[in-house]
Amino acid sequence: MSTVHNIAKSVESLKKSLEAHKYICSDQIATAVYIANQLGKPILIEGPPGVGKTELAKTTAEMLGLPMIRLQCYEGLDDAKAIYEWKYGKQLLYTQVLKQALEEVLSGAKGLSESVARLHEFGDIFFSEEFLEPRPLLKALKEEDGCVLLIDEIDKADHEFESLLLELLSDYQISIPEIGTIKAKAKPPLVFLTSNNTRELSDALKRRCLHLYIPFPDAALERRIVHARVPEIPPILEKQLVAFIQALREMDLKKLPAISETIDWARTLMLLHSEKLEPELIKNTLNVILKFQEDIVNVESELTTLTHTAIREAERP
Amino acid sequence: MDQTLSKFIAALRNSNIRVSTAETLDAFKAVELVGYSDRALLKHTLNLVLPKTCDEKDVFTECFDRFFSFEEVSSQSLAGEGGELGDAQNGDGDAAGSGGDGNQPGEGGSGGGGGENTGDGESQELEPIPPGNLSEASSALGQLLMRNDRAELTVQMARAGEEAQVETIKVFTQKGLYTRRILEGMGLSHLIREIVDKEKSEHLPDRRLSRELKLRQDILREQVRDYVERQFLLHADHTGMRLREELLRKVKLSNVEHRNFRVIQEIVLRMAKKLVSLHSQRRRVLKRGQLHVPRTLRKNMSYDGAIFDLRWKSTKVDRPNVFAICDVSGSVANYSRFLLMFLYSLEEVMSKVRCFAFSSDLGEVSEMFDRYPMEEAITRTLHHYSTGSTDYGQALQDFKKLCMDDVNKRSTIIILGDSRNNYCDAHAEILKEMYDKSKRVIWLNPEARNTWNTGDAIMRKYAPYCHQVEECNSLVHLERTVGNLLLRV
Repeated sequence: MSTVHNIAKSVESLKKSLEAHKYICSDQIATAVYIANQLGKPILIEGPPGVGKTELAKTTAEMLGLPMIRLQCYEGLDDAKAIYEWKYGKQLLYTQVLKQALEEVLSGAKGLSESVARLHEFGDIFFSEEFLEPRPLLKALKEEDGCVLLIDEIDKADHEFESLLLELLSDYQISIPEIGTIKAKAKPPLVFLTSNNTRELSDALKRRCLHLYIPFPDAALERRIVHARVPEIPPILEKQLVAFIQALREMDLKKLPAISETIDWARTLMLLHSEKLEPELIKNTLNVILKFQEDIVNVESELTTLTHTAIREAERP
Repeated sequence: MDQTLSKFIAALRNSNIRVSTAETLDAFKAVELVGYSDRALLKHTLNLVLPKTCDEKDVFTECFDRFFSFEEVSSQSLAGEGGELGDAQNGDGDAAGSGGDGNQPGEGGSGGGGGENTGDGESQELEPIPPGNLSEASSALGQLLMRNDRAELTVQMARAGEEAQVETIKVFTQKGLYTRRILEGMGLSHLIREIVDKEKSEHLPDRRLSRELKLRQDILREQVRDYVERQFLLHADHTGMRLREELLRKVKLSNVEHRNFRVIQEIVLRMAKKLVSLHSQRRRVLKRGQLHVPRTLRKNMSYDGAIFDLRWKSTKVDRPNVFAICDVSGSVANYSRFLLMFLYSLEEVMSKVRCFAFSSDLGEVSEMFDRYPMEEAITRTLHHYSTGSTDYGQALQDFKKLCMDDVNKRSTIIILGDSRNNYCDAHAEILKEMYDKSKRVIWLNPEARNTWNTGDAIMRKYAPYCHQVEECNSLVHLERTVGNLLLRV
């Protein structure tokens, strides 16, 4: 616990520690984690797909030694799947099993009102916490030592769900009509929300969060990331590969290759025992970094120039 | 230091970044945590708390650099003046050279005379004090100037600026006023008195001092003016944009001058964007209290038919299916231009918009809208259809022929026109048919209500067959109408 405490003490140590966990990040990202941890505020992360939004949450959890609870959002997600649900089956089963016991309780009671009055003496047994199935959000609140809660792709969920989150994000509590308000334990969870910006999120949600935008990394940073993730890659190939990807991002493509694609490509090339980039090699592995046929055709037509530029770029000190 | 942050937030708001009170409090908390000592860290921190979209982040960066540039400039001029001196003198030399007279670079510094800009100013300030005795300056400001204590001068300037409330500056004509006030606040009057006094003195060192002080006073004035300029850029609406936009929204569209079209277009785009983001999500309207029996039964089948989980009826608000019919004849061409612009920009939310234009003959222009960028599409539309005298009857007949079959219970028909029919046949029965078949018929009339039935205008014949008749002649009207349309359809 004390080491964890030390890690989160300054931006610099956080950054180093993230790097030790193979997550190479800019100062901006490290600052975000630092502030979020210190102020206990959720972080809303936006950026193109594949730049490491989800990875940041995972790495942070690993680094702080906390369990990670993940909620994947989709259209139609509602409170029954995100917060809690009653265990209907269990309730039903218990009433059946306890039929005998119930009859005993009710034996001797005359009339409906007396029976109901006797039942009331037993309180809301069937609507107690034992019959509550906690879903990710409730589970996160119930973690004793805190945890990392990742709410992934919040933009895919409905407006209603967004509003549902507001109470959790500002006060770290959830109100359940049948039981009451459930507050976070001693240490509130560290919340990460990610969004691909398919729609504008509401101001109310944004207001409660720190807003972090992760762009595509520059060449130097990307080289370090590739080096951390695929350490066995020869330095010359690493340089050429990053230069090539950076050049692709300048082009007008349907989907630009992100860091995850760069890493996948690096791994592919390692598997093929390549030492340096060649047009033929690129042509055969282009489908690792480009995900649309249209893009592949576009790039193939300019492959030689792109490769030569990348190689020249990599030769520069 | 808290004041600094509040002022910075005020400056951000001035650049159209929305910062709420809660976010301000967050910013204070965050800054308390990281402190002001590390500029990069401070920037990263505030960048997380204050701007909440990518566009805002760009504006933020610019604003931050401008706002916190103050300290930087002063410290720079304190530290490395040697390098700048050379540059400034070279610059002077060039200027003199192009002027055509003596072109030795050495002369530049003294030849620059009055000190036109700060570049000049700095080179002069660094001129060694001419040999010979100077008497001591007596006024406080004079002493500061003679000591060339930049740090203290900067502090004094900032303090005087605060006293003069320079952050309340609104329009550019106030720049002189604030410059004057700040100089006064720094003790200019004493300095001037001293300069005048010393000038008359018979003592040579006194006169020298006077000349030297006068030089430095001019430089100081330049610096203060720069400072005010920076504050003006930060705190004032420096292009007068907001005021103009506010006015343009309310002005009648037919009165908008041509040079303002671009601004209007921007406003229209922004309005449309707002509506798009408001309505891009299909909202489900829950009808509470109405049980959806089949769905409930189905859902509870797994519980042995015991009804646990109730399902309620809900309706989805559908995206509107819009037919827009625009009169593009001379009298209303300006209005239809903006309606078309609005519809064009709303394509994202209103996927099924079909546009028609007419003056006498009616034709569909939807395809043209798909193919060309907005401005060209509109120009082409106006060019093709705006000839000929208005005939609503003919246009309605054409509409019937073209696409009456496509109109159904979910369609909304918007007609924009002044109903000035040149005394032709009204053919209101076609409008009645449209009224019966569609969900809504909305007539937008750009004229004022009391002229709707004067002259050849026949609004009274059409109005009974419209669900809604509105006067619509400014952007505010237009926004309201289209917003309602999205809300209720």
